[in-house]
Amino acid sequence: MANTSLFTIPEPIRHLFSRFPLHTYPPTTAPYHTPRITEPTLWVHPPRSHLSKYSKQLASEPEGHENKARELDDVLSSDVECLKWQAYLALRNLGQKVTVRWDVSADGGVDGRLPNLHVQIDPNSKGIEAGIKDDGEGELLAAHLIPEWVDGKVGDVGALEGYVDEAARDESRAWVSLLEGNVHAALLAFEPQSHTLFSLLMPYQATTSRSIESVLPTPPAPLTGWSTLFRPYGTRLDLPSIEFKYKDAIAALSDRLGTDRWFLGSSAPTALDALAFAYLHTILDSKSETLRFEVSRRVNLVAWEQRVSRDVKNAFKLYTRS
Amino acid sequence: MSDAESELTAPPLNPPLHNTSAPRDMEPTGADLDKLRKWQEERITRKLRGEYQSAVLRLAEVVNENIDSPLRLASVRVEGTPHTRKSFLGSLVNPYLHSEQAPETLGSVLHNARAIGHLLNETDLYTTVFAKVERSRDPLAHPNGVELVFKTREKPRMFLKTSTEIGNNEGGASATCRLRNAFGGAETFEANLSFGTTTRVAFNAALSAPLAALTGNLNTRGEVSIFGLERDNTFYCSAMEGVRGLKAVVRNGTLRSGLHEVGYEGVLRHIGNLQPTASVSMREAAGQSIKSSVFHAWTRDTRDDSLYGTRGYLLKAFHEFAGLGGNTSFYKSEGQAQFARPLLPGLTVSLSAKAGLLLSVSEKPLLFPDRFQLGGPSSVRMFKTNSMGPRDGSDSLGGDVYWTAGLSLISDIPKKPHWPVKLHGFINAGRLDCVDQSKPLQDSLISTLSKPSISAGLGIVYRLEPVRVEMNFGLPLVAAKNEGARKGFQLGIGLEFL
Repeated sequence: MANTSLFTIPEPIRHLFSRFPLHTYPPTTAPYHTPRITEPTLWVHPPRSHLSKYSKQLASEPEGHENKARELDDVLSSDVECLKWQAYLALRNLGQKVTVRWDVSADGGVDGRLPNLHVQIDPNSKGIEAGIKDDGEGELLAAHLIPEWVDGKVGDVGALEGYVDEAARDESRAWVSLLEGNVHAALLAFEPQSHTLFSLLMPYQATTSRSIESVLPTPPAPLTGWSTLFRPYGTRLDLPSIEFKYKDAIAALSDRLGTDRWFLGSSAPTALDALAFAYLHTILDSKSETLRFEVSRRVNLVAWEQRVSRDVKNAFKLYTRS
Repeated sequence: MSDAESELTAPPLNPPLHNTSAPRDMEPTGADLDKLRKWQEERITRKLRGEYQSAVLRLAEVVNENIDSPLRLASVRVEGTPHTRKSFLGSLVNPYLHSEQAPETLGSVLHNARAIGHLLNETDLYTTVFAKVERSRDPLAHPNGVELVFKTREKPRMFLKTSTEIGNNEGGASATCRLRNAFGGAETFEANLSFGTTTRVAFNAALSAPLAALTGNLNTRGEVSIFGLERDNTFYCSAMEGVRGLKAVVRNGTLRSGLHEVGYEGVLRHIGNLQPTASVSMREAAGQSIKSSVFHAWTRDTRDDSLYGTRGYLLKAFHEFAGLGGNTSFYKSEGQAQFARPLLPGLTVSLSAKAGLLLSVSEKPLLFPDRFQLGGPSSVRMFKTNSMGPRDGSDSLGGDVYWTAGLSLISDIPKKPHWPVKLHGFINAGRLDCVDQSKPLQDSLISTLSKPSISAGLGIVYRLEPVRVEMNFGLPLVAAKNEGARKGFQLGIGLEFL
């Protein structure tokens, strides 16, 4: 390191510098500083009842007080990705309520995405053991690090991941792929996006979880043909095909659940249950009649969603800034 | 008589000629031709100057003798203005033409000619303006009616510039396009696009026009602009800041007599692209917000030099009220004063102070982009840029109230007073804090004033037009814990310093 030695400060000067500043005040305090983290907090996109437009609509309805109660009760995110992790945390039974907050923009999340789990630094972590002082700020975990943290809290799920046998574990992969493929594509294609003129003019668009192009098995054709004067733009979605696959998937899901307590005959909730709940809840809460109808006509799915929904809601409490 | 007969011809020269030179003329001998030519040129210049002076004297005499003679200004004609609107020129000229000034004399006409000429020069549209008084051509004009004729030449309308710049601790390249007299009413359209190291990209397009039709003079200008920038603030808050906005301002006055600005600003701010190491406090502050505000600014600058003035003062006041829509509401007030005066020959003392206060006017919290930041080579020296006040890890969260004060001594380098490099000694103090809502405001202000961070040092100042460059060696004497103190050398490049 010849270069660094060139710029080494001579010892007498270093000694002199170390005396400055001659007087030091305590650090400046600010209400903008995040309070010390005391319990795990999940950062998610806001629930539907807290989205500004929807709230206004509720307030204008005659049963205002009932809606207000619903608003206070609603802790389930409107974003399916966030809800997956909410359900995952709830169904893994941490033994304590997890705090949930949605006042942080997705821009503040790790890599500009939500959900994130804000937790205290593990006192047994390498950093703390190496002598790094915990400033109480905790650490922010991206979604993919949540299972590892949960495993650390309640123990590993084992090689079977909570499924009854290896076949069920392998089958779960197919269901995950079906839900994240066909069902997710239908959610993106049929859920009307609120594009106001204002939102179109906004140069800073929030990062959406996944684009429909990445979900569909074959990339959709562009909206303009290759022979037109305009360069290829937009996507031409084959809606009947997406709808058909969606209906098929929901029918299969309903048949597979039957009257079981959990999917694939597991004795306790698994990751697949969390995923299925997230999609079913989002679909039942969706504004699209096409999506909602397929699920609401299947009694077992609706009953299952309602039961799990109660469990998931009970596992969370609202964040309040101390 | 034919032309040939009427033509005057000089009598033919018949040598030998007589020498008519007088000794008092001190004409050089013909041996040195250069000297002779120079002597001749000087003689001609002297003669012309004499003739001009006597002509001016004669003219002044004529004017003075007839200053009270009745003369009526019938019309004003401005020539050489193909791109200027008639209505605009009318709004400048009409107040003089239809004034009920009595009695109308040659004197009043000449005064008007000077005033209109001055106004035309002030529009900054013409390279030359010449005035002439002519007898009115209008057959219905008053017998004493005269016409003022201004012969002008318009300046080029289009201006394009590309440049590389260094200023306010960053470097960059920019392109500017300026269109003078865009719609024929002295409107200026200016568009600017720049790329830099800290401000990654910035654009600004502004259209300004004199409000002559309303005020009858050119002292008041209106300006509407749209602007945007992407700034890399990762060095102090681990985030990028994006800004898009529009602004409408009315300006009145000059810097020397006091410049008022009143305007409206609507801005969309975005804090995003956080670094992986960003603090949780900064993550909470991320996202976009809209500010809709009205503001008033007043500036008076009598300094002889804006980079390092040796005498005069600068006073600035700024008020902003946000909350007309948007999702932030606050009242912001800032004041600045700087006084400079020579202490001894070659030694100038400069004393400056700046303070600001930000108050929330609703339940909404004060947002990160609205808060103050403090510290840096052009602010409180020997602290890193924007490193003072409340911090979370390495991120400066900003504050609601601040004050700074600085005393600088600038002296010439001994025996080299003409050098643009000067010696510099300074002592700076300041603090950035938050207003504690649970206590009276007065208590917060007293607490802020009583805990100053102080730094001192010596260095050199160099004038590198159009910026001032400083290289200082100094130390922070008093600081708050976690503030980014800088020990040793610090380089500062900028337009305004404490």
